[in-house]
Formats: sequence, C-alpha cells, structure tokens
Amino acid sequence: MMPSRRVLVRSLVALPAAFLAVRHSRHGAVPDKGSGTSLDFDEWYRGRRIQVVAGSGGVPQLLIDRRPLHLMRCADGGYVTPIDHYQSCPTPVSAARAAVDVLGSARLSRYAAAHGGGAEGGTHGVHA
Amino acid sequence: MVYTRKDVRDLSRTERRRFVNAVLDLKRSGEYDEFVRVHIDYYVSDGEDRLRLAHMAPTFLPWHRKFLLEFERALRRIDSSVTVPYWNWTRDRRPSAGVWNSDFMGGSGRRRDLQVMSGPFAYSEGRWRVRYSMTEDRFLARDLGRPRDPLSLPTKAQLDRVMREKTYDVAPWNSTSRSGFRNALEGWGPGRGDTRFLIHNRVHRWVGGLMLGGASVNDPIFWLHHSYVDLLWSRWQQRNPRAGYEPSSPPPPGDPQFRRVAARGEPMGPWGVEPERMLDHRRIYRYQ
Repeated sequence: MMPSRRVLVRSLVALPAAFLAVRHSRHGAVPDKGSGTSLDFDEWYRGRRIQVVAGSGGVPQLLIDRRPLHLMRCADGGYVTPIDHYQSCPTPVSAARAAVDVLGSARLSRYAAAHGGGAEGGTHGVHA
Repeated sequence: MVYTRKDVRDLSRTERRRFVNAVLDLKRSGEYDEFVRVHIDYYVSDGEDRLRLAHMAPTFLPWHRKFLLEFERALRRIDSSVTVPYWNWTRDRRPSAGVWNSDFMGGSGRRRDLQVMSGPFAYSEGRWRVRYSMTEDRFLARDLGRPRDPLSLPTKAQLDRVMREKTYDVAPWNSTSRSGFRNALEGWGPGRGDTRFLIHNRVHRWVGGLMLGGASVNDPIFWLHHSYVDLLWSRWQQRNPRAGYEPSSPPPPGDPQFRRVAARGEPMGPWGVEPERMLDHRRIYRYQ
C-alpha cells in the first residue's frame, strides 16, 4: 500500500508548533478563498516566500514565491523536489528550503510544478 | 557494424570536436530538447503510487541504456563517426580533468549564479540556450565539487563493492532495496543528506547546477556520465552471466509494487521496448 495521506499530513503537523505560530502570526494563516485551499505554512526564507498549502485531497503542495514546486515523496519517507533530486529531506518544508538553497534568485518555471508525467502516458499535461 | 564507445581520455582532438559539433547540431534542430523533456517526464519518485521507469526502479539501467542509444543514433545521423564517450569519474576526479576543458564540456560555473562561462555550452557562446528547465534561467549551471561544502566523487573502492553484488535487483525494487546491483549502482543509501547519495547519484551531486534536478539532461555531461554507468552494468553482466534482469515477472496484485515497476517482458515508455531486449548491446556497440 501507499503511504497514506495521513502520513503526509502528520509530517506537516509535526512541524514545531511554536515555529508555525510565529510564521502564521507574521503572514496570517488566512484561507486562500480564491483557490479553495488553506495555507498551512508560510515563511520567508533567504528572501524567498515558501508556502505549503493543502492541495487536492489534502496532499501538501509547495509554493515558492507563489509558484508551484512539485513535492516528490520517496519510499524511505523523505522528500525531494525537481530542483534537487539528490537531497533527501524529512519534511515538505525542509524540501522547499533545500530547493531555495539551490535556486538562489532563479524563478521557478512551469515545469517545476509537475514532474514525471510521462510514465503513464499522460505526459504532456506539463507541456500543454 | 559494431561501434566503440571510448573513454573521454582517449579521444583525439578531432573526435572531441566532432562530438561537440554533433551535440550542438542536435541542439540547433530542437531534437536535443526533446531528450531533455523525456527525462523530465519519466522522473517519478518511489513514494508515489505510479509506474516509475527511469529512476528508483529496476529499469533504471535498461531505460537509460535505451535513452543513450536513441541519443547516439541521433548524433550518428549527423556524423556517423560519433559515439557517446564515457567519463570514468573514479579516475578523472578533479574539475581540472581534461573532460572539463574549454574545447569539450567546459568548466564549472561562476560563483554568483553558477553560470558556466567556458566552453561550447556556455550561454555566452550563443549556441546553448536551455529550453526545458525547472527554473526560468536559460544558461547551463554547474558547481563542480561544490567548493563551499566540498564533496568527493565515488572512489574505485566504493565502486568495487558495488561490482561484487551478485543479484541484479531485489524487492521492493526501489530506492530502499537493501542489496542488488541496480540500487547500489544507482546509489540510494540509507539515511539523509549526502550519505544517501552514492555512486551514480553522487556524481550528479558533484557536478551540481542543472545536474541536480529534473533538467539534468541539459548538461551534456549527463550522457558521458550515463555512458560510464552503462559500461559498469555491461561489465557486471559479463561477470555475472547467469544473473538476469529482475523482476522476471510483474509483482502481483496485493504487492506494494503492483503496476509500479516493469518486469523483464513489460514495455518501457516512451519507446515500448522491454528490459529483456536491452540486455545485450554487443551487436550495436562495445566499450573500449
């Protein structure tokens, strides 16, 4: 079986509560009514804005400066991103920070939003 | 006619030039970028409940063998003397090695943004504009050896341990497989940080820049790296003639890997070729 969504949510919830509270007070954990998702995490890190939002079905989705970054789960429980396949991170937030460390000032492209669309034949969602 | 893939060290100046020119031609025609795109499309991580073929899977080796063959075929349509050389990173371990000379791959990136400033693939040369990438940057980026937090390439001793594996792959057929040649060579270790990234993976990490992510094919060193990985598989096959591709049959319903990996006779996209048809390359090419 797949690791359940609950596992993912738990790893988000496992973020230090105090840290979350500080971040939320800075930016406000305001539901983003426009897209129908709520913000779970919001911080500035090295000059970039990192947000973790509940995507479809509650699966966490990363945003860097409001651009989506695919969060890739690994079988060992870690996470990687399309920016860096070779850094295993324990949580979605640490994966986002690791991506920012590599990005410098570069802006994400649309290809960072989804990855690996080809193996099941439905490729070109990403490229449409 | 069987052709030979050579060590980059053994290429003549003319061979180096012809390889670079064929790659630049492929880039100009747009075909190179289609290879970049295929690789982006096929990187599926093993925590997702989907079929994965290119990485974290038994097909890592046959998928990349086919990928290299298709690339090489495209190059040879341009110049039939060209083959994909290999970079033996256990020997050519420094950013000063000949493979990084400005008549071939060019060197590391500059400090500010990791932009490669030397060689034929430098953006400033006007012939290498990155099209499909994870960022909006259009230049080739590298960070050879990661000087700010140095790491080393895999050693011969580390590789020898991998070559002593006796089985091709084992369940659960992913990055957590505890033994087997495929996962050892792909280089997924236990733990976090750099210790998780060995052999093949560590080389991506050592080159840095675009080689870290989904757009790694934008760096032409990708092909030279994977040519060496393919050579290692080829040598391992010779040493272990009875160790066939695994899994030989698909994981059954109820198995966590059901429909997530390709067995010996199952097709691999985007070509539809089965792993069993990629096992013997000796009628097409040989390694020097």
